[in-house]
Amino acid sequence: MTTKTSSTTMPMFAFFRELRRQLKLSAKRHPMYDQNKFGKIMMYFAGVFWAGYLMFFGSLLAFAMNSSSNMESYHLMNKYLLVFLILDFLLRFMAQPLPTQEMKPYLLLPVKRNRLIDFLLIRSGMSGANTIWLFFFVPFAMLCTIPRYFGFTGIISYIIGVWLLFIFNNYFTLLCRTLMKEKIWWIGLPVVVYGGLVTWLIVGDDSLQRLFMNLGEGYIMTSPWAFLLTIALIVGMWMIDRTVLTGLVHSELTKQADTKKQEKVSEYKIFDKYGEVGEYMRLELKLTFRNKRPKASFNMIGGMVIIFSILLSFTDIYNGAFMSNFIAIYNFSAFGLVSLAQVMSYEGNYIDGLMTRKESVYSLLRAKYYMSVLFSLIPLILTLPAAFTDKVSFLQLFAYLFFVIGFIHFMLFQGVVYCNKSAPLNENMSGRQNSGTAYQQVMSLTSFGLPLAVYFGLSALIGETVTLWILLVMGILFVLTSTWWIKNIYNRFMARRYRNMEGFRDTK
Amino acid sequence: MITVQNLQKFFGEKKAVDIENYEIRDGEMIGLVGNNGAGKTTFFRLVVDLLKADRGQVLIDGVDVSTNEDWKAQTGAFIDDGFLIDYLTPEEFFYFIGKVYGLKKEDVDERLAGYERFMNGEVLGQKKYIRNYSAGNKQKIGIISAMLHHPKLLILDEPFNFLDPSSQSIIKHLLKRYNEEIGATVLISSHNLNHTVDVCPRIALLENGQIIRDIANIDNSAEAELEQYFNIAEES
Repeated sequence: MTTKTSSTTMPMFAFFRELRRQLKLSAKRHPMYDQNKFGKIMMYFAGVFWAGYLMFFGSLLAFAMNSSSNMESYHLMNKYLLVFLILDFLLRFMAQPLPTQEMKPYLLLPVKRNRLIDFLLIRSGMSGANTIWLFFFVPFAMLCTIPRYFGFTGIISYIIGVWLLFIFNNYFTLLCRTLMKEKIWWIGLPVVVYGGLVTWLIVGDDSLQRLFMNLGEGYIMTSPWAFLLTIALIVGMWMIDRTVLTGLVHSELTKQADTKKQEKVSEYKIFDKYGEVGEYMRLELKLTFRNKRPKASFNMIGGMVIIFSILLSFTDIYNGAFMSNFIAIYNFSAFGLVSLAQVMSYEGNYIDGLMTRKESVYSLLRAKYYMSVLFSLIPLILTLPAAFTDKVSFLQLFAYLFFVIGFIHFMLFQGVVYCNKSAPLNENMSGRQNSGTAYQQVMSLTSFGLPLAVYFGLSALIGETVTLWILLVMGILFVLTSTWWIKNIYNRFMARRYRNMEGFRDTK
Repeated sequence: MITVQNLQKFFGEKKAVDIENYEIRDGEMIGLVGNNGAGKTTFFRLVVDLLKADRGQVLIDGVDVSTNEDWKAQTGAFIDDGFLIDYLTPEEFFYFIGKVYGLKKEDVDERLAGYERFMNGEVLGQKKYIRNYSAGNKQKIGIISAMLHHPKLLILDEPFNFLDPSSQSIIKHLLKRYNEEIGATVLISSHNLNHTVDVCPRIALLENGQIIRDIANIDNSAEAELEQYFNIAEES
């Protein structure tokens, strides 16, 4: 008996079209997006806001540079194109999804993996995200002196050149983020590349500035060499991305199930004597240090706090009032932001187990608060040398410490009530995105901006010393009433529990 | 022990659970059977207050589960791996559960000894986090964690899933003994009719969220009725 099998497979173009449709749907039908009207409105609002913001600054800079410089405005802009590339990198870093995260379901279909990777790379290059900066550069190009010398062709040619440059930046960001998802230490790559270029820009000769000026002028004059160079850079980065992605996909597919034994299992016995809350504090530590994502965030923030503390204490870089306050306060906020910005999202992975035990979440919240206070002692210790070297006062340090562990943590903890999105603990390459709920994002941003706004606002009105005392007293009050407000948060969380649990399950 | 009154749960237009009145008495052992989507897991989630009922209520010892948390002290449940804290080792997880229910480490160790055969030397002392265990061993960890504090009400969703035949047989005996010795009320759901019939003296058959038959299972008498319902006899 012979078995007849179908030899017809979907044509490549049709497959890619279908893939594109599905990837669009996956974003649109994501449970959190689907249910989150607030998020949708915020997204549209933010889009319009940013477009207007960029257009405004593009126009403003064109007028400013036209009138005040002894150099052509487009030359002046091109000299600092690198700054825009760095800003672009940072924006992408926070918001742009990785194509690798979307590949897994298609890897076993009868399509060559490299074709799939190529498709995702093309899609990434053609993404609308690469045109965001054109809201800045189009009005700039139209209003600066380009039209005077090079006419409409110059404008178009310049915009295309800049767009290509951002496409290159897209592929470079993609490479960095893909590698960093494997090992956090790859953060060194953008730090070295961009840090090196910025150092060159600041302390080196003007050759880098001239290079960017010439490149920009090349775009305006439609010089083949400028476009060929940019296209060559894009192709080169594409090849690197392609090679890296292929290798990582292969290693992920051939990876054995992780059944490894732990050489040493830390027990944190110190918490034995603190009863149920102690047990949850121990759980909090294990959550942080046994899971890839929380551990990477902790290490990254810890490293930054150490570096900034050393710079503040032992160098003159941050001697100004603004910067020393900025560094001091964010050293304290950082650990809170890293552990509380997505508070309860990690627990969303095992929320059912917690919810079937009496007041389990209440004990967990108290433990979380105590641990976040303990973590805040790290920046306190690290910043003490700055107080001894008179870079900041002791009053400043303790005012910031208590304001952060009191008021700021109180604000971040409000996120518990509205948290309904699980965050993956260990997923890497093909894993899901790790952004919190809209409420948590707003709270994090507010917590980030509020301390300095309060400090400078009050200082201007009533003087620095009184401000610091107010922050200190305010912080202490919130710390002393923490048991009460945590119970209040717990009660509100329980009142919303069904909605939250549904969200946790949907996003697991 | 459990009283279900006019309980309804909808997912969109679909009625996932619709049970008018149902009583489960103290010490009973009940098996829930039904095809996929019949509403077994949803019913369990409603009983342990993990879902909000659109109508009606579930009472445990006369108290509506959605109004206070006292019933949690006497209840143990394992529905899926959302109940496991997978970055702990099994020992840590058991001690953690023990502590939450006021058990000392020694008590936990003593109770775990009763599950040695079930664990088959593959669970304790492995120095592995739960996430690194096989599905079968995760299932064992979940089942034991639900029983560890000797709850008066035990709820297990598909307890035979992922288990090898020996472990399936052991868990059947463990559940029977647990029901007899502790006098606990035990609710299990399963697609495995043989096991359910072997273990449960009362079987509820669910279809489209409704309990369409409440079968007294004396000496496996329910087997024929269930086989007929699921068309197993005809197919084979």
